[in-house]
Parts: sequence; C-alpha cells; structure tokens
Amino acid sequence: MNALGIINFEGDTAFIDGLGEYRPVPAVSFLGRYRIIDVILSNMTNSGINNVQVYCKEKPRNLIEHLGNGQRYNINSKRGKLQVLYGEKMFSSLVYNTDIANFELNMQYIQRDSNPYVLIAPSYFVYSLDFTDVMKKHLDTGADVTLLYTSTNEARTSFLGCDVVKLDSEKRVTSFEKNRGNNKNRLISLEAYLMKKSLFIDLVEKATKTSSLYWFKDILADSVEQLDIRGFQVRGYVACLNSLSEYYRNCMELKHPSVSALLFKPDWPIYTQTNDSCPTRFHDNGTAKDSVIANGCVIEGTVDGSILGRNVRIGEGAVVKNCIILEDAVIGKDVYLENVVVDKYAQVKNIDRLTSYEPTPIYVKRLDRI
Amino acid sequence: MRSNNMVAMILAGGRGTRLFELTSKVAKPAVNFGGKYRIIDFPLSNCANSDISTVGVLTQYESVLLNSYVAKDQYWGLDINDGGVYVLSPREKATEDFEVYQGTADAITQNIDFLDSIDPEYVLILSGDHIYKMNYAKMLGYHKMKGADATIAVLEVPMKEASRFGIMNTGEGDRILEFEEKPKEPKSNLASMGIYIFTYKKLRQYLLADAANTESRHDFGHDIIPTYLNDKMNLYAYRFKGYWKDVGTVDSLWEANMDLLNANNELDLADASWKIYTEDVNALPQYIGPDASVKNSYITEGCVVEGNVQNSVLGTNVKVAKGAKVIDSVIMPGTVIGENATITRCIVAENMVIPKGAKYGKKNSEHIELVAEKQEGK
Repeated sequence: MNALGIINFEGDTAFIDGLGEYRPVPAVSFLGRYRIIDVILSNMTNSGINNVQVYCKEKPRNLIEHLGNGQRYNINSKRGKLQVLYGEKMFSSLVYNTDIANFELNMQYIQRDSNPYVLIAPSYFVYSLDFTDVMKKHLDTGADVTLLYTSTNEARTSFLGCDVVKLDSEKRVTSFEKNRGNNKNRLISLEAYLMKKSLFIDLVEKATKTSSLYWFKDILADSVEQLDIRGFQVRGYVACLNSLSEYYRNCMELKHPSVSALLFKPDWPIYTQTNDSCPTRFHDNGTAKDSVIANGCVIEGTVDGSILGRNVRIGEGAVVKNCIILEDAVIGKDVYLENVVVDKYAQVKNIDRLTSYEPTPIYVKRLDRI
Repeated sequence: MRSNNMVAMILAGGRGTRLFELTSKVAKPAVNFGGKYRIIDFPLSNCANSDISTVGVLTQYESVLLNSYVAKDQYWGLDINDGGVYVLSPREKATEDFEVYQGTADAITQNIDFLDSIDPEYVLILSGDHIYKMNYAKMLGYHKMKGADATIAVLEVPMKEASRFGIMNTGEGDRILEFEEKPKEPKSNLASMGIYIFTYKKLRQYLLADAANTESRHDFGHDIIPTYLNDKMNLYAYRFKGYWKDVGTVDSLWEANMDLLNANNELDLADASWKIYTEDVNALPQYIGPDASVKNSYITEGCVVEGNVQNSVLGTNVKVAKGAKVIDSVIMPGTVIGENATITRCIVAENMVIPKGAKYGKKNSEHIELVAEKQEGK
C-alpha cells in the first residue's frame, strides 16, 4: 500500500489517569503482554504499510524501547522504516504541543517519504482493520479525505470528548462536534484519515497559519465545506481507551476469548515485543478464574476476573479480584485487592485490603510500596 | 562486543528413536519442552549468554523444521555482525561424494572448511538434546587455566547409576587418566556430559588422522578422546554443578517437565540473569476460564483453560475444554483436549485433537503414555 503511516498522538481528550503520568497512552500496557500502540501499528504493517512515523507528545524513551526498529512488527529492516518523532524543542506552554506543531517540525521527513498518500491514526482507538480496503474505497469515491468512523449506541458513557460526525446520504461528512455524552446513538470519528500527502501538507500549513493551538482535527472541521470528506465505517470491535475507567472497562471486556478474538485474529496478528519470560507457575494453592495471565507470573494466591502482566507475583493467601496488575508488580501474602490497577514494579504488601466501590478503579503508582 | 574466540558446534543430528512418534517428523533437538521451548533452545541460549557469537548447528535427521528454526538467530540474540547461527547439514563437495555424518567426530571433520574460515582458537562441542544451563565462558577459563588440550564437562552422578554413563577416571587436579564407556564396575562417578572444549589446532590434526583411519567409528567418545589419552595429551574434567538432564526417553522427557513444577527446581527458568530464549509465537496471554481449576501447573501463552489442570505442563495454544481433566501430564503446543476428556500421566504430542470424553493414561502406571499420531507400520 503506497501510503506513509502516521501514528498520531492523543489530544487532551485522552488521558489515562495514573498510568498516563509515566508514559504516553500508546505505551500503556494492554491485555497483559501488549502495549496499546501494538494494535494500530500491526494494522498498518499487516496492510502493507512499510514506512511508519510514530509521533510522541512527550516521554519518548518508553516508546522507542518498545518499538525498536520495527522488525517485530514485520517492518522490513532494509526497505521499510519506523521512526519515533517528537518535537525536539521546548514548547513554552504545553498547549502549544499540538500534533500540527510536531508535523510542522518534522515536515522534512514527511516530504522526503516517497509514498503519495498518508494514513493518519491515533493509537487509543483499538480495532482490527485492513487499510487496503480503505484505500480501495478512497480511490472509488474519489474523495479528498476518507475518514474512519464507528457507529455506537453507548456514546453517553463511552467515546466522551471524541469527535461526532454527521454524514449525508452519500456518506459525506457534513459537520463535526464533540461528544459530550448527551445522546446514546452517535457516529464517532476514529480520528483516522487517508488522503494524498500533498493535501495533508497543505492542511498542516493552513492550520499553522490559522492558529498555533490548532490540532489536525480542527483544521479538518474548518474545511468540511471545501473538502470532500467521506466516512468509512469500521464494523466490528472498536474500543476507545481514553480514560482510566474506559481503559479498565474495555480491558475487562477483552479478557474473554470470545471478545479478544474480535481484535486478535489468527490471520491478522497483533505483534509486540517479547521479553522471553518463562511460562507462568501455579503453586499448590494458587488458583485463577476468568483471568488473563501473561508469562513469567508466580501464583500462590487467588486470581479472579483479573489481568496480570508479565512476571507478576501473587503471594500466598492473597486475593486479586477484578484487578489489572502490570508487569513485575508484587502482591504480598494475604493482601486482598478488588477493582485496583497496580502499576509496574509496585509492591503491595503491608495492607490487608484495598477496594474501590466506584466504576473507576483505585490506582497504585509505579514503584510504589504500600 | 568481540567474542571469546570460541566457536560452538552443536550436534543436532540425533534421531531420538526412544521418543517414538515425537520424533517422527522432527529431530530430537526440536522436540518441545517446558511449554514454550524446544530442547535446542538450551544450548543456543547458553551460547548467547556465554558470549559465544558463532554457533554451527549440525543437522541431519528430519532437519527441515530444525534448520529453519535455528536459522532465525535473532531469537537468541545471535544475529550480530560478528557471528550468527550457521546451519551445517551434510553436503556434496567438489572433491568427495556426498556422505551423511558417520559419527560425532565425522560431523565436525566434514565441516573443517567452515571452522577454518572462522579460524577460532577453541571449539566447543555440544549436544542438542540436553536440558541444562551452563556458562561455557567459565569452562573456557578453566580450560585455559589448566593449559588443556581438551576439557570435558562432567557431572557427579550417584555411584550406582554410573554404569549408565561414559565415566572419566581422573587423577590429580582432575586430569583425566582414563575414559570408560558404560563400565560394569565404575571406578569413578564423574559422568561425561558430552560437552567438550578443544584447542582447535590440535583437534584439527586428530580429526584428519581419524578420518583416514578406516577402523574408526569417528565418534568423540569412542575414538577421539581415547586417542588423545593414548598420546598423553592434557585432558581435564570440568565439574559441573546444577541441573542437567538427558531427555532421551518418554519417561525422562516427562520427568524433566515435571521438575519445572517444583518451586525449588535447580533449572529455574525464571532467573532473569540467564534466560532461555525461544521463538516468539505471538499468542495472547493465557486465559483461565470461570469454571476452570488449576493447581500446581506450568502454563504458557495462548492457552485457554476451561477445565481442570493439575500437576501438568501446558504448551503454547493448548486448549483444555470444559469438564476435561489433565493430571500429571505434559501437553505439547497446539493440542486441544476435548470436553470431559481425561488425561493422566501422559505426554500428548503437538497439534493433537483429543475427542470429547476420551481417556488416556492411568494413575500409578509404570511408564508414561505417549499420545501421538500413530505412524504407518508401527
């Protein structure tokens, strides 16, 4: 597919409380062994996109380490290229750190790429999609921009802050507005767009001239009358991981193989970095139910309805219920956790009980000792 | 990083006939172990962890899968500019007719051209069918310290079992005086582990001389080591302490898998300082279902457990359906255990489908039952 892939970073409408303080959303752990970015990046490389730029708002170390040179995502190490790009300059205020500002700063790399098209998508929407179908449709309709959207009846509680699109009978986008949760049936933009590279560059320049606070979606909304923007509906599983509660709720749903099979398909693999952990060992009194467990764990207690990252230890007599425990965390003897998200390397040992009664789980910080 | 000027040669041509159907399609070194590994991951990871960057793998029997597997040297981090994994199968040469490897020594002799092209100071000979973790760099340090021509790694085995092994009789400073293959009345309990370090120049001479000897079986244990001893060369025993297992039979393969269930097992695959690397299979993490029961087991990525698993090792992508029971067993990758099936004291081969309600194996059976596709004529 002759498009440059651009994985855009999230705006302020997507922030995963707690977890997001240590890494950008794309680098947040996902379903035990993945990171959120693995999904969109694998969609791109599976679709034959061999040149991908990943834009990173801040804290790039984590992402650079995870992505490597792209080989693990099947990017050809000679013909293809995976770049992690960030502002490389200080913004006097965070509000200036927009996607447009970053595209502008890295424009030479966008121009130098030989692909005539660009496909832009953020990582916090997760779905399984062959982008060559989008390209086919784009060429068929002759649209200026093809925009991906999903139809939802849960817009009151999910996709909050996302763009809602209105389409005419020919699926032409007629308006954009914000989803403020006041209507349950909505068409939600996945903020993923396919267009000619020349148009993309024009739009970035136009945005820069209009306002230094503009994001790409703002200039697109401004251009809705001049441009032929067509919707392409993504059917099937779509989730939006734009807050701690939505992250938690969606991960919990994805636990079950019948749901995860909608996102992780045998002929459309989601790639990630391996860390060569050994299999997970259950001790005599270690048990698990309805849980997703990555490799390298040692389970001496009870795991119920939870997701465990790699190398997690659950001590004797401990109970972990409806929790997400990230890599290398340790849950000590006889500790009871319910509805808790425990970040990497945290050690929860010296308390008896931690329970959240809200839909939003309790968050235990990275490296924390409690 | 520059490596330690030692090339490893892994003898991986073994057929493993005592593993029966497990090796009907793959060579023994490619047989699965411990849920996600293959046996040859152990010597290859040991090499990578010992800073050996050039590894030759000598394959012969059913080598298609094994050749393509070991060729992916990035699995073990051996894909560096200075080295790599070289697949060395028997091949036709301009000056000689095609010949399969006649013995362990012949396999190396036929690859002298390869070794010459690398020109190492030392050659490490390994076997591709043992489960153990070992730092070969330390063994090389010992070889150098002793000024040895050859160093053989040995394991202290119980005296009563010594007659099953190749035994080294040693003198002062662990200098090897005599080598006896499976002696009826062993004089020592130092068993050869089939791991040798040779100083290459000397080995080269001996190999060429051995190749010319029509009486020879061209085997390290049978021919090369005895000739070295006859010639009063400096041979030393290197005492290895730790887990080492030859998994040549169904029972011993099962036992080695069961050892992983022991929390204090010496192999300790969880040790982050000496990881065993393997293929990344790209499977989801395991899922343990709402009605499942799991006890004292070793379970890896891609597994979906809806039934009952006890004292068992499950390989990648194994499915255990509702009501099924897997007890004291090893299930190899890709196998599906149907509803209400019961598996007791078995090894179930890769990619099998065990039908609903089927029963295999018996509690307290003398031997472990192998459940595999039966080959024609057997």
